[in-house]
Amino acid sequence: MSRFRKGAALWGSLTAPAITAPIFAVLGALMLGALLMLATGHDPLAAYRAMLEGALGGRQLANLMATLARATPIVGMGLAIAVALRGGYLNLGGEGQLVLGGLASALVALYTPLPGWLLLPASLIAGALAGGAWALLAAGLDRWCRVPLLIGTLLLNYPARYLASYLVNHPLRDVASGMSQTHRVPEAVELPRLIAGTRLHIGALIVLALVLAAAWIVRRTRVGYELRMTGLNPSFARYGGVDTVRLGFGAMMLSGGIAGLVGAMEVLGTHHRFIDNALTGPLYAWTGLMAALLAGSSPLGVLAAGLFFAAVHTGGFGMERGAQVPRELSRVLQALMILLIAARGQLLTPRRGGSTAAAGKAGAT
Amino acid sequence: MTAATAVTAGAAATSSVSPALELRGIVKRFPGVLANDHIDLSVERGEIRALLGENGAGKTTLMRVLYGLYPPDAGEIQLAGQTQHFRSPTDAIEAGLGMVHQHFMLFPSLTVAENIVYGREPRRWGFIDRRTAARQVAALAERYGLEVDPGARVADLSVGLRQRVEILKTLYRDAQVLILDEPTAVLTPQERQGLFRVLRELAGQGKTVIFITHKLQEVMEIADRATVLRNGRVEATVRIADSSPTELCRYMVGRDVLPDPIRTPKSAGDPVLTVADLVVLDNAGRRVVDGVSFEVRAGEIVGLAGVAGNGQSELVAAIAGLRSATAGRVMLSQQDANTTSIAARRRAGLAYIPEDRNRVGLALAASVADNLIMADQRNSSRTPRLSKRGVLSRAGIERYATDLIERFDIKVASTREAVGNLSGGNRQKVVAARELAQEPIVLIAEQPTQGVDVGAAESIHRDLLAVRDAGRAVLLSSAESSEILSLCDRILVMFEGRIVGELSAEAVGADPAAEATLGLLAAGGAT
Ligand SMILES: Nc1ncnc2c1ncn2[C@@H]1O[C@H](COP(=O)(O)OP(=O)(O)OP(=O)(O)O)[C@@H](O)[C@H]1O
Ligand SMILES: [Mg+2]
Repeated sequence: MSRFRKGAALWGSLTAPAITAPIFAVLGALMLGALLMLATGHDPLAAYRAMLEGALGGRQLANLMATLARATPIVGMGLAIAVALRGGYLNLGGEGQLVLGGLASALVALYTPLPGWLLLPASLIAGALAGGAWALLAAGLDRWCRVPLLIGTLLLNYPARYLASYLVNHPLRDVASGMSQTHRVPEAVELPRLIAGTRLHIGALIVLALVLAAAWIVRRTRVGYELRMTGLNPSFARYGGVDTVRLGFGAMMLSGGIAGLVGAMEVLGTHHRFIDNALTGPLYAWTGLMAALLAGSSPLGVLAAGLFFAAVHTGGFGMERGAQVPRELSRVLQALMILLIAARGQLLTPRRGGSTAAAGKAGAT
Repeated sequence: MTAATAVTAGAAATSSVSPALELRGIVKRFPGVLANDHIDLSVERGEIRALLGENGAGKTTLMRVLYGLYPPDAGEIQLAGQTQHFRSPTDAIEAGLGMVHQHFMLFPSLTVAENIVYGREPRRWGFIDRRTAARQVAALAERYGLEVDPGARVADLSVGLRQRVEILKTLYRDAQVLILDEPTAVLTPQERQGLFRVLRELAGQGKTVIFITHKLQEVMEIADRATVLRNGRVEATVRIADSSPTELCRYMVGRDVLPDPIRTPKSAGDPVLTVADLVVLDNAGRRVVDGVSFEVRAGEIVGLAGVAGNGQSELVAAIAGLRSATAGRVMLSQQDANTTSIAARRRAGLAYIPEDRNRVGLALAASVADNLIMADQRNSSRTPRLSKRGVLSRAGIERYATDLIERFDIKVASTREAVGNLSGGNRQKVVAARELAQEPIVLIAEQPTQGVDVGAAESIHRDLLAVRDAGRAVLLSSAESSEILSLCDRILVMFEGRIVGELSAEAVGADPAAEATLGLLAAGGAT
């Protein structure tokens, strides 16, 4: 039996399409973008400098902090989707779970008579539980009412969003503020800022810890193994004795729980109240879904993809401000980059004989 | 000499006319493996050529190159003297090639008829004419003696039936050069005879057949010449008339293969698997297992014989817990197992080599190591330890996997290679290794040697006997009647969902026509 030479394996993994494809994609997108800007009479070099500055620079790295702050909910939501997707469960209900998590945490923070030190953890836990329960509902519909998970999770987004909208527009509204939002939560419940004067709060560290924990669990634990095998071939997992029903409920609860927690952390860390549309407007859930899909539901991959999406977004603002590239154009460029990454470099890298792709599809039955 | 014989003689002998098919210097590399190393192969019109070689020798790869599925790294393909550059199977089909794939290429959600006519559908006013399609397929099946239900969904079919569909699909397309990659892996002797009749007929019409198999008797029976591959190279090409199974074997493995082990008589112990009045419905609601009762006792190998599609697959799936029974009971070591989960059955000592290795027995995208530890990931008593308090032990898994790979002689580049990259026989060895390593009390072995080479089949037979001799039990379901006859203490024959006969080893040993009796029973004849 031929042993794998270590060096060859390392080199192989560095040049593997999984790593090179995104790099090609980004380069390709930058090139296309440059053409686009030349065609519309902008200086691509200046624009890209402004973009880089806008994403990573700024006075005292303020823009970098903005990118990290933006990445926090995106990575968090990406992780939420990824943990379920790893087992083959596509959770399209991240948005509803996120909103209900945020709402639940605001309610606990505002209306429970708990002592101050207990209020913060209680609010966070309430957020996670609300999100988890909402995801479990979809899992139950799938199991007992034959509503496919895909549809159940997607449809449950609407009641969650409108329920939250109704509550903050009517019974719970902070009328004095004149906006569709709740009252401000007590100061004791606010998540501490990591750096004063920025929006970056301690939730970023919590998300990072969750990513690392998830990566370890998926790769190194028994339940992670069972999750991976179920995702790759559920019949095989079942045949091997994995209780795929229980595993499915567990994965969905965890997925929804993380989404709910992300909502709670945005409410307690960024806005300090529940504001209508503040969690849905920036499309955190959908950007996170995209990150999870691109990363093939690997937690570390989600971290990379989420950071990248956040950087492209804040960089886009920088380009508007610094190089007068109109907002529309910067949006087109962002979309191009994401599209090219989604194609995983297939559009640009020459086909290596197409052999592995063909082989992968072969054993269909 | 008449004109007709002159033509056949001219076709079979090497002549100035270009051969029907010629491969020159074909090279195909995979990361870490040189699967085809400058292979030359030339096949005449009207010839049936056997392609032989151990598991992983490169047979399937060579045929996939020929069929346009893999571009060769070097080399040339000629059909009737014309150089071809196939960029996809569509090009190959266009040029008159047809292939029965070892790893079936069927659409599980479509019907049998839809799969067979796919790409060449009969049309009526521009729409696919389903009725004609079903009729054509039924006629084709009838003509070649390969019975199928044209309206059944492929996903609901057993592996044996899917193999028939693959064969019919290729016959439907009326190819000039037919490639059959282990078409007989799970066919019964009767079905095989039907197929051979077809192949002879096609060769008689001047078509060319390339036939991959591990069963040397089949080669002796059907082939004109045989080409043996070894480690990606052509070892020899011989005329069958001048050769023998022993010689072929020597070319394949480089040594003489041990004869199949002898089963020593042994008295059986207590029943460890009891099946009582079991009824199982198929996905269409038919009673495919119709009140079956039997026992398997410790120290016994009980065979389950029959033509594919007579309920064996469903019976076995119900015992393993993958399918639920509508009535009746399954007991393991005299404990009721009906209501228990698959995990509980496995804890009670059940192991299962399923017939469908690709869809049930393996996760093709997962690594060899991940596939080898399934069902054992929770077992904390085994050494080396695979997991500890819920955390996988990487060193233990690596050691365990390496050990099994060596013991079962599985050809892999590393324990981390995806199982989907392995050759068919090596995939089968992964499944067999995993289940045999469980040291089961009851082992259900369903087509356990399908696709493995003669050496590996012999070694798996030895392992099955070892399970029995260690005082445990085996239920062996196989289309291969020689396997059943040589290994089993008792043989149950299934026909249309019922057990229609039971033969004991003694009776079989005394009866030179045992195989024929078995065939008769399986076809529904009376005892
Ligand atoms: N897609 C692939 N990627 C990597 N390696 C592969 C791939 N396909 C085949 N191989 C390797 O190439 C070698 C030849 O495989 P092939 O499938 O041609 O064997 P085979 O002769 O058909 O064996 P079997 O009798 O088991 O079907 C094996 O070592 C196999 O692991
Ligand atoms: Mg093969």
